[in-house]
Amino acid sequence: MTWLLDIPGAALFAAGIALAVSSLAAGEGLSWGAVALILAGGAIRAGAAMLAHAVAIRAAQRVVAGWRARIFPRLLAGRLPRPLLAGESAALAIDHMVAIEACEARFRPARAASAAAPLLVAAIVACASWVSATILLVTLVPFALGMILAGSAARRAAERQLAALAGLSGLFVDRIRALPIIRHFGAEDRIARQVAAATREAADRTVAVLRVAFLSGAVLEFFAALSVALVAVYCGFALLGLLPFPPPEKLSLGHAFFALAMAPEFYLPMRRLAAAYHEKQLGDAAMAALADVEAPAPAPPPAARFDGLRVAQLAIAWPGLRIGPIGFELASADLVALTGPTGSGKSSLLAAIAGQVAPAGGAVTTARGDALDPADIAWAAQTPLLLPGTLAENIALARPDATPEEIARVAGQVGLDAVIAARGGLGLMLDHRGSGLSGGERRRIGLARALLSRRPLLLCDEPTADLDRASAAAIVALLREVAAERAVLVATHDPALAAAARLVVAL
Amino acid sequence: MSALALDPAGRRWLRRARIAAILAALAGVLLLAVSGWFLTAAALAGAAGPMAALGFNYLIPSAAIRGLAILRTAGRYGERLFSHQAALGAMAALRAGLFARLAAQDGRTGPDLAGGDASARLIGDIDALEELIVREPVRSASWVAAGAGVLLAGLAGWAAALALLLLLAALPPLLDRAARRLTRQPAHDAAEALGALRTRYVEYAAARAEIAAYGLADRVTGDLSRFAADLDAARARLHRGEGVIAALLAGYAALAAALVLRLADAPAPRVALALLVAAGAVEAMAGLARTAFRRAGVAAGLRRLDALLALPEPVAAPASTEAMPLRLGGLDLAPGARVAVTGRSGSGKTVLLETLAGLRGAAVDAAVGGLAPAACSGAMLRAQFALAPQDPALIAGTIADNLRLARPGVDRESIWAVLRVVALEDRIGGFPEGLDTRLGEAGGTLSGGERKRLSLARALLAGRPWLLLDEPTEGLDPATEYEMVARLDAWLAASNTGLVLVSHRRAPIGLAGNVVAIEDIATSPCRTRV
Repeated sequence: MTWLLDIPGAALFAAGIALAVSSLAAGEGLSWGAVALILAGGAIRAGAAMLAHAVAIRAAQRVVAGWRARIFPRLLAGRLPRPLLAGESAALAIDHMVAIEACEARFRPARAASAAAPLLVAAIVACASWVSATILLVTLVPFALGMILAGSAARRAAERQLAALAGLSGLFVDRIRALPIIRHFGAEDRIARQVAAATREAADRTVAVLRVAFLSGAVLEFFAALSVALVAVYCGFALLGLLPFPPPEKLSLGHAFFALAMAPEFYLPMRRLAAAYHEKQLGDAAMAALADVEAPAPAPPPAARFDGLRVAQLAIAWPGLRIGPIGFELASADLVALTGPTGSGKSSLLAAIAGQVAPAGGAVTTARGDALDPADIAWAAQTPLLLPGTLAENIALARPDATPEEIARVAGQVGLDAVIAARGGLGLMLDHRGSGLSGGERRRIGLARALLSRRPLLLCDEPTADLDRASAAAIVALLREVAAERAVLVATHDPALAAAARLVVAL
Repeated sequence: MSALALDPAGRRWLRRARIAAILAALAGVLLLAVSGWFLTAAALAGAAGPMAALGFNYLIPSAAIRGLAILRTAGRYGERLFSHQAALGAMAALRAGLFARLAAQDGRTGPDLAGGDASARLIGDIDALEELIVREPVRSASWVAAGAGVLLAGLAGWAAALALLLLLAALPPLLDRAARRLTRQPAHDAAEALGALRTRYVEYAAARAEIAAYGLADRVTGDLSRFAADLDAARARLHRGEGVIAALLAGYAALAAALVLRLADAPAPRVALALLVAAGAVEAMAGLARTAFRRAGVAAGLRRLDALLALPEPVAAPASTEAMPLRLGGLDLAPGARVAVTGRSGSGKTVLLETLAGLRGAAVDAAVGGLAPAACSGAMLRAQFALAPQDPALIAGTIADNLRLARPGVDRESIWAVLRVVALEDRIGGFPEGLDTRLGEAGGTLSGGERKRLSLARALLAGRPWLLLDEPTEGLDPATEYEMVARLDAWLAASNTGLVLVSHRRAPIGLAGNVVAIEDIATSPCRTRV
């Protein structure tokens, strides 16, 4: 509502020029009071503009901070309807937030002011000339009708068609992405002609749509101009004493001029609103996309003690990926391998078992058929997460209360002791990139973390990929050992690891 | 060529938009001027008595006021429509021109836009330009409105007009400087902060499984919020900068009105006219402020686009379509020979295929017709190899569009023949629209395995001497895999096509007469495209 502060400034400015003109007309010469009023009005308007921008961005960023606080944990750890590529996730978490910020900073304050501000302007004008104020208010009726006519129906049609057009211009995006293969088949000339024709057609059809879509803008412009014209004509005739009806009020030049100078302010808030309409559309689209992710997951049923894993009829169906239904069981001390080539969905299946993405069908339960407790699942990733901190802290991420002895023991168990000895102990500082660590060492940290967590079910994503033969063999031996006391499920395309499993589930 | 250059049709539309914008701006200033003059003159005439009032010509000014209101509306509408027409046409031409320029580059040395980020940035750069063109006519209109304002202010005396002229002339450089000062650093900081936040976020998104399993979401969100705070701070400064510009304009309008009032030397109606005009003329220059602000924001994008448009037009050397012998490591292969490349995943098998296909410039121990792939022209490699990549790389469009990519004007019979080889004829024949079924951007409608087979059919259709297959039977059940391998075997033999195959699976490897280990070929698998 800070834009309302702009109106007193406009009123002072209008009062200043009205006073100046009326004192000149009365032959009193230059009024220094008028100059002061004009400058004060300008200063207030300037202050209002700065304040409104500062307040708007603060409020917008508070809203965005709220979205981030809800969406980040959801995107980075919540149960998602389908797995997201890192880029998609970043678009939701970062680019969409920028769109929401723009909408909140530009559109929302304009809308907040657009209802009250015209009324305030009319009230101020009424102090000088209530007839002029009435004229302004009366123009609102045909304005609203015009907006409804030109706006809603035409705009709905336009939006529908614009969505279809987005597909046509999306061709350009698609063909740019597919350029390598287009070049490979020597089709660049043909595709370039096709792109040229399609973008041309999209442009021509968009213009046809805009012809209609811009009508609502024209309606706004028309009434903004008309309201000024009507006030000017009424005041002029009233001052001439030539009104075709008995004068409803006694109008002086000063009052009339004030009404005229304030008249453009009446539609200004609506014009500000219209100018921010594009931001609103982008912001709405962003919020709709985020709302899909934010949809609350049903509350999990009470979890039971882990006594083995049962996967029944588990199926995944996302665009471009269809897996299952798959069923298998895992005893409380067991080793099972999910195999299949790269991209066949092993990691997605593991994520579905861990409850991190929603499957299309099937159930993941304990052996007895009870709900699985998320706190019973340890995860050893292909590229484990490292947070800035010491090596010990990183190993103990899942159980920060572990004693240094416990940490040292699991570090030894996964074969990290040599590294630790060579680099200065468990206090070795790590950055988030894990600079100085090899891929194999990093993976061992992930395994150590999983073991230290004491969770009875261990899910491992490609534990031996990209490792040299000796390190891979060491990891396989370690997993065998772990499987003697825990349930271990590995996703792998390494035949050596698959051979160590009791059961191999091929995708 | 500059990204902002318009073709004649675009210039024509822009000229019309400019005229409409100028009419709208003039009508706006005149509306204020006539209204102010009319009101004051009417008051003086009214005060002078009924005779003077009756003698006052009110018809012309009151009609002018209404006419100007309509003209302003029509002008604005025309300006918006025509400028969009110019911009949309120019953007279509720019997209087409850029695409043709990019498509003509050698994929191994040209800019790499296959990644989502790069193409998204390109699209964003182009869209930002559209806005710049749309705003262009307002600039001329601002100047004309300012000029008209100065002339009209002259009715209140030369001193007032001169003061207004000086003030208005000083405004654009002032706005430009202010916009640059207020945007340059924050815009740079915001871009840096956005990049840092994105990088860190993507790392965390990749570690999502662990964050979820161990309940680390709060810690990670806390770490990210530091980067988000940097971004917010920079963007807040940018937004407050816009507020400063708006404040500058508001203060300037008051200053102009005050100066004109102080210096005016004329009867009251003319001073009234000049006062309203002075404020209106400054307001008309708001259009300049907005463009100055935007221009600073899109300058980097404009430079990037100009750099792309300045790419040299490569000379296409005609390439022989005759089958050439191939050497992989120590293995010499005559045209028509078949070889399977083995090795662990991540060891560079895909890089080898992409290098032979001319998509990459990696250093490999291989030769095509006696030349290292890097020394071969792109056209020569294309004439030898047809690739069915690991990621099917289908384009949005129909099934037929995808197949015709490899061979324009191919008849339906040949299409069905290759679809039979890849065991897709029943599936696609079952679609109501058959070959004209549309695929979504990611290949929708068809499953992952089916998309790969469609990609394979496309490579077969290209009819090159050598076929490069990357995991062709991935995602297939054993029966279909067996069937497809058998048909492919027959097709290769019938067409005497050579084969370089990468696969983890036994059945397709059976197609190859030779096996070569990737370790013997890829000398530097990690070097990617420049």
